[in-house]
Amino acid sequence: MKNYVWLVRREFWENKAIWIMPCCIGGALTIAALFGRVEIDLPNLPQQNRSVAAMALFAFGAVFYVAMSIYSCWYLLECLHADRKDRSVLFWKSMPISDTATVLSKLFVGLIAVPAVYFAAADLATLLMAGILSARMSLGGALSHAAFWQPTFWLQLQVLWLYVILTTAIWFLPISGWLLVVSAWAKRAVVLWAILPPLAAMLAEHLFLRTHVIASVLNGRLLAGYRQAAFYDPLPHHEWSLRAGDPAAALESSWRQLDLASFLSNPQTWIGLICGAALIGAAIQLRMRRAEA
Amino acid sequence: MPPLIEARGLTKRFGTQVALDHIDFAVEPGRIVGLIGPNGAGKTTALRAVLGLAAYEGELRVLGREPFAERAELMNEATFIADVAVLPAWLRVEQAIEFVAGVHPRFRRERAQELLAKTEIAGARRIGALSKGMKTMVHLALTMAIDARLLVLDEPTLGLDILARRGFYDALVNDYMDETRTILITTHQVEEVENLLTDVIFIDKGRIVLDCSVEDIAARYAAVAVGDDKLATARAERPFYERPMLGKKVLYFEQPDFAKLAAFGEVVTPSVADLFVAKVSWGRAA
Repeated sequence: MKNYVWLVRREFWENKAIWIMPCCIGGALTIAALFGRVEIDLPNLPQQNRSVAAMALFAFGAVFYVAMSIYSCWYLLECLHADRKDRSVLFWKSMPISDTATVLSKLFVGLIAVPAVYFAAADLATLLMAGILSARMSLGGALSHAAFWQPTFWLQLQVLWLYVILTTAIWFLPISGWLLVVSAWAKRAVVLWAILPPLAAMLAEHLFLRTHVIASVLNGRLLAGYRQAAFYDPLPHHEWSLRAGDPAAALESSWRQLDLASFLSNPQTWIGLICGAALIGAAIQLRMRRAEA
Repeated sequence: MPPLIEARGLTKRFGTQVALDHIDFAVEPGRIVGLIGPNGAGKTTALRAVLGLAAYEGELRVLGREPFAERAELMNEATFIADVAVLPAWLRVEQAIEFVAGVHPRFRRERAQELLAKTEIAGARRIGALSKGMKTMVHLALTMAIDARLLVLDEPTLGLDILARRGFYDALVNDYMDETRTILITTHQVEEVENLLTDVIFIDKGRIVLDCSVEDIAARYAAVAVGDDKLATARAERPFYERPMLGKKVLYFEQPDFAKLAAFGEVVTPSVADLFVAKVSWGRAA
């Protein structure tokens, strides 16, 4: 356990982007909130004020979430490759730390630690934004200044983010495992090695078998599949986007959308978990054997 | 006491190419063994196997453990410097000390700091900002502060200038070596480690050409510079290798009749480097 703490600390030493990026995003959003033009043209009804404010807070969080997802993928893809590339793997392997611990610590950083840092930064930034925007709004008189201070919605948003972090970590485990395998194996061009083989497999299947099994499996595992598995979906084409009829109303009851029971009872969740574990095992085996890029 | 390292039939293949071909060797505690061979001989492959960095065929025990399966446990009692300047550039010197102190039960932080103080490298500096020689000294300080039973050095000074190389071996000799340490070292610069070694293992093309202690070299091997007049009779004593030198021929003998050799000229014990060249050339000609 002590070793894991040091391994995670080491990742934060190496990858300063883990905290610099969310700080930059938070800073940019704060500056935008301070000096940006805010034009919201709405009838002055309290309920809609609240909805717009809720949407804004959700959107700010979503910016962090998107940046975090991209960074996490990049991190998982690079983490086992970087120290083979600069040969420092020959130093790390002289320490009494197993390759299993090394790989699992990196997985933990990519799936839990990085999202937690972004989550904290997003919270801090949205609090700041809410403060700044409500001050500006009440000065300008467009929205009631109370619109941004909705403790229930705030709490719901926290639950939503935590739920998303945990369920995506599980649902996308095969993707994370695949990224780690490429990172432990590829000599160079990790991004290409991560993307091209699945594409090539799809193409080969299409050309020779005229079927699309791989494509549909991948599609089911990617975003569409996740939303279906983790969220209760009463309306066809209900989305967390501005397109839906009354998005804010759906958002405000966002924790009624969380569907942990069906997520856990979905066989796809468990199939993914098993495939992910197998890929992580493969990454550990590759890590044991590869001391050079 | 059982050997620290014991290899039997150690074999490593890369595809169809055989890098190590059923080699046997043992390293006893308290020895300083030089594993010497030309490029591509299999030295590094052998060391990687010993350190658990690669899978292998055959039997291999290091400190009673199976290195590949038990690398983490092995690294509690054995440590290594493989190649030059492998510390990551982003790491600060003090972070390196902190990390090793955090994960290594046999690391003594004060010792590392004491050794680093001699080099005048500031703890706040990033490894990437140091010269190659300084990086090597930081790595050596970290390694020497680990109270290990076995230290493996794989080309630890390759590409360093003469001052840095000398500094490395001086530190190793003065601040580390004692009778409780066992060191296994490979290097191209045989001359630089020659007087440290207690044993040598010559390896060429994945096979062991010679495995003997330095004391035994004098008893087993002899070199004589012979003029043309006595060359024919000297060759009758079956030298295994000869090379021209200043108009004479230097003939190398294994387990010779020393009394007979004295008749051809001055009998000397070949240096490790000379013996290496003789043995490897002979092995390739045979």
